Amino acid sequence: MGELNSAIFIKNLSFSYGLNRVLQDVSVNIESSKLTVILGKNGCGKSTLLRIIAGLLPCKQGEIRIRNQEIRTLTLNKMAKLVGFLGQKHRAVFPFTVEQVVLTGRAGYVNVVPKAKDKEVAGYAMERAGIQDLKDRFYTELSGGEQQLVMIARVLAQEPEILLLDEPASHLDFANQIKLMSLLKELTLGDLTVVAVLHDPNLAFLYGDDFIFIRKGDLLRPVEPVKPWDAEFMQTIYGNKLHSIPYCSRALIVPATETIYYDNR
Amino acid sequence: MRNQQIIRVLLYSLPFPVFLISFFIGPSGTVSFHGLYHFFWSWINGTAGGISPEQALISTILLDVRLPRILLAFLVGGSLAVSGSGLQAIFRNPLVSPYILGLSSGAAFGAALALAYAIIPVQLSAFLFGLVAVGLSYLAARKHKNVSIVSLILSGVIVTGIFTALLTMIQFMCDPFKLQSIVHWTMGNLHNAGWNALTSSWIPMVAGVIILWLMRWRLNVLALGDDEARTSGVHPERGKIIVLIAATLASSAAVSVAGIIGLYGLIVPHMVRMMAGTDNRSSVLLNFLFGGTFLLLIDDFSRTIARFEIPIGVFTMLIGAPFFLYLIKKTNIGWEN
Repeated sequence: MGELNSAIFIKNLSFSYGLNRVLQDVSVNIESSKLTVILGKNGCGKSTLLRIIAGLLPCKQGEIRIRNQEIRTLTLNKMAKLVGFLGQKHRAVFPFTVEQVVLTGRAGYVNVVPKAKDKEVAGYAMERAGIQDLKDRFYTELSGGEQQLVMIARVLAQEPEILLLDEPASHLDFANQIKLMSLLKELTLGDLTVVAVLHDPNLAFLYGDDFIFIRKGDLLRPVEPVKPWDAEFMQTIYGNKLHSIPYCSRALIVPATETIYYDNR
Repeated sequence: MRNQQIIRVLLYSLPFPVFLISFFIGPSGTVSFHGLYHFFWSWINGTAGGISPEQALISTILLDVRLPRILLAFLVGGSLAVSGSGLQAIFRNPLVSPYILGLSSGAAFGAALALAYAIIPVQLSAFLFGLVAVGLSYLAARKHKNVSIVSLILSGVIVTGIFTALLTMIQFMCDPFKLQSIVHWTMGNLHNAGWNALTSSWIPMVAGVIILWLMRWRLNVLALGDDEARTSGVHPERGKIIVLIAATLASSAAVSVAGIIGLYGLIVPHMVRMMAGTDNRSSVLLNFLFGGTFLLLIDDFSRTIARFEIPIGVFTMLIGAPFFLYLIKKTNIGWEN
């Protein structure tokens, strides 16, 4: 079926933390070379989904195929070459330099210490992320936005085919959010598959190709002719009263006017 | 950056002069530079006409007293420093030292037990109980095949408490003469250093250091965090266990011959970090060289400054701590605020 162009194929995936069921029978196909965005409220299970795909949580019920290979058969090393993962805000302890941090992305290719080739790839990754000037700075002394770009360079140095990002924009200012999203978009044009959990639906609608909505562990899909950016549909996801404003061929989502006036009296 | 290069070259070359100087230092005045020169000269030429009694004495002092002690001081210092830096990396905590998991109190209890009741040799007993203490901390913290760093440090503190209590009990019950040797042991000293002590302890120390050296870059990956390591292809639990075993072996062996040299495994990794940066690729070797050299220097002090030998643990603090404070004031290493 659609599996030919499939980067990640998920079928009947369920997951619980103890008795607390977080994902319920999720099936979805994530296509190659696209920027797919996962949206949903806090605690709906979107980060869990991403972490299962990344191999950080076990896939016990259901099936996940990455590039048509069953996830349970993939070794850590094979996984690292297929899938790169960037978690929510990373806290550094030791004052490594930026270059040293980016180099660690090469772990799957290195036996004892990184070679010249690895340094070259890391250098190229820093260029892609636009942080080559920070090379010798201490990671711990950078701003949140710069640190995020360093970690992006680190996963790029890993040279994965699929990039998973958990709320990559959440600690960035407006300018850096735009920079980051354009970078992600650009990466998909270079044949990388990007899957990102985002908080801001507008950022998603501006840059995303495909959208996955999760509500309380269930996958929701807008059915034609309903579009993801329709106010009614987004209301079912977030629960707030919303209004949509047409923008380009899509639309942006804002709180409905009456709710704003209510707050301001 | 250029400053760091110069410091690095210094750190790499420092061991040689300190090694040489240490040969001349000791309580016995017999071995002057002149005597040493003659000794080596006749040694190189092959001693025709037999050895004079004076030369035999010099030979004994140099080869059977000073050489093993120099090697042992160097190995002990290097092992403690390398173990400390490896553990700090995997625990992602710059406050960790080889003693954090109960090693020192376990070893001290083992030594006290042997000193008080003489069932097994002191060194062996200290080594074994050091391992037992770390093993206990590890098993207590292990849950569902997983070991959380916080519970590991907690159980280490508790195991330390248990062995300290047991040590106190032995100290309380044994006779004053034995008590004195127990207290002396816990202060850290190298005056029993000889070929015997060296041959029975160098293998775990060297093996541990070599393993950590092979893991030197992996330490950078592990220091970044479990998720980051795993998703880039490094098994975090496996890596941590290897480092933990290597560091425990090396530092247990070090403690078993030298007693407890307080804080050494904590401060040396920081000194090296402040002088040469955080990258474990170079800092494993630098920790070994600087840790070894520095302890050798401290040992030189402790056996010459007074008529009698002062426990090396005392001088570690008196020389090491001010230098440490100076570095903290002087260097900018970029810790998070």
